[in-house]
Amino acid sequence: MSKTMAILKDNLWTNNPIFIQILGICSTLAVTNNLRNTAIMTLGVALTTAFSSLTLSAMKDLIPRKVRMIIQVLVISFYVIIIDILLRAYLPEVSKQLGPYVGLIITNCIIMGRAEAFAQASKPLLSWWDGLTSGLGYMAVLMGIAVVRELLGFGTLFGIKIMPEAFVPWTIMIMAPSAFFLVAMVMWWAKSMQAGRKPEAKPATPGQQATAAAAPTTTAKA
Amino acid sequence: MKKDSILYVVAFTFAVCAIFVLVLALANESTKDLVEANREFASQSAVLDALGIAWADRSQAATLYKEQVSPVEGSVPPAYRATVDGSGFIAVEHTGAGLWGAITVILAADPEATLIRGIQIVAQNETPGLGGRIEEAWFLGQFKGEKVPGQKIRVAVGAESKGSGDTDTENGLADGVPGASRTSQAFESIVNDALVRVKAIAGGGK
Repeated sequence: MSKTMAILKDNLWTNNPIFIQILGICSTLAVTNNLRNTAIMTLGVALTTAFSSLTLSAMKDLIPRKVRMIIQVLVISFYVIIIDILLRAYLPEVSKQLGPYVGLIITNCIIMGRAEAFAQASKPLLSWWDGLTSGLGYMAVLMGIAVVRELLGFGTLFGIKIMPEAFVPWTIMIMAPSAFFLVAMVMWWAKSMQAGRKPEAKPATPGQQATAAAAPTTTAKA
Repeated sequence: MKKDSILYVVAFTFAVCAIFVLVLALANESTKDLVEANREFASQSAVLDALGIAWADRSQAATLYKEQVSPVEGSVPPAYRATVDGSGFIAVEHTGAGLWGAITVILAADPEATLIRGIQIVAQNETPGLGGRIEEAWFLGQFKGEKVPGQKIRVAVGAESKGSGDTDTENGLADGVPGASRTSQAFESIVNDALVRVKAIAGGGK
């Protein structure tokens, strides 16, 4: 498997930021009751992660170690503010809907996590790809949760009525606690799936064993 | 110069900050007019909607606003006088406390504040799906053309609210959002306070 494919698989599944690394949980609770907001927010996170990783990786030989985190925060906030400016100018409705959530992209741990763990020691394009796929792994989980929450909480998907008139919305699905339950269920499902695969993977190549062994270590750290 | 020397660290940090901030400033400056136009359109369209003046696109909204609406000089928050279908109306922007944060509305009514022309919500932070439903058409639609007996309207909450909208425009009563009694009650007082302001503006106040 080529390196790009390995990174894709790692960020989407074996080392997913949400259900394995347990990063970016706060925004999972906040935005996932509405598919449209979730889509825009997670796209913002994916783009910010991709481009901040690209920029930081390109600058890595110039950055003094003492101030590297300050520079990381500066670059990340730069991209978030750019996204905010673009939304305000070209998509004012979306910007109004998202309100403070755009600014809160800065606080998403995935972005700095990737900058520290990957971009610091990798080539710019590969870092861009790693950032983008991390964002996509985050997006995939959040969109899945948002489908359940919006469907049961509002009876709609992307604002379009799906459930019959007689359907009584589950108010709990709109509130943050339901995201806790759903995230926990996703983690349970993903970990059982990954654990179930391990015995088959054992006699395989050493590379695969290393990946399988890496997952529990990361979890322990998180 | 060594990468760890104090001089390099300071110079590097300064240079990086200067470059990124410069780009941000340029981006902000180049979109400033667009953002201002968006803001103006949002406020004008809310006033038009509250007054029940139909508009199709941005340019039409701007023209209709110019023709029919005139801001009351010196009033803070803004208030507007307008003539729609031959009768005069007053629209006021009013902010009051909701359950989680401030709710800002634009309310249009006749100068005696006995008939509500319409209400638009400019900003609110209520619970999505519960209090946030005050933005829905069935809720706001109840106030369209609603008579105001005794200078006050009432928003029904709890068992009294049918939760589907009160269609009687004579009784000064609207259905609250089911499951959001506190927001509904807050909305009632915001509307009543805004009506008081309409009367004050009509009497020559600011």
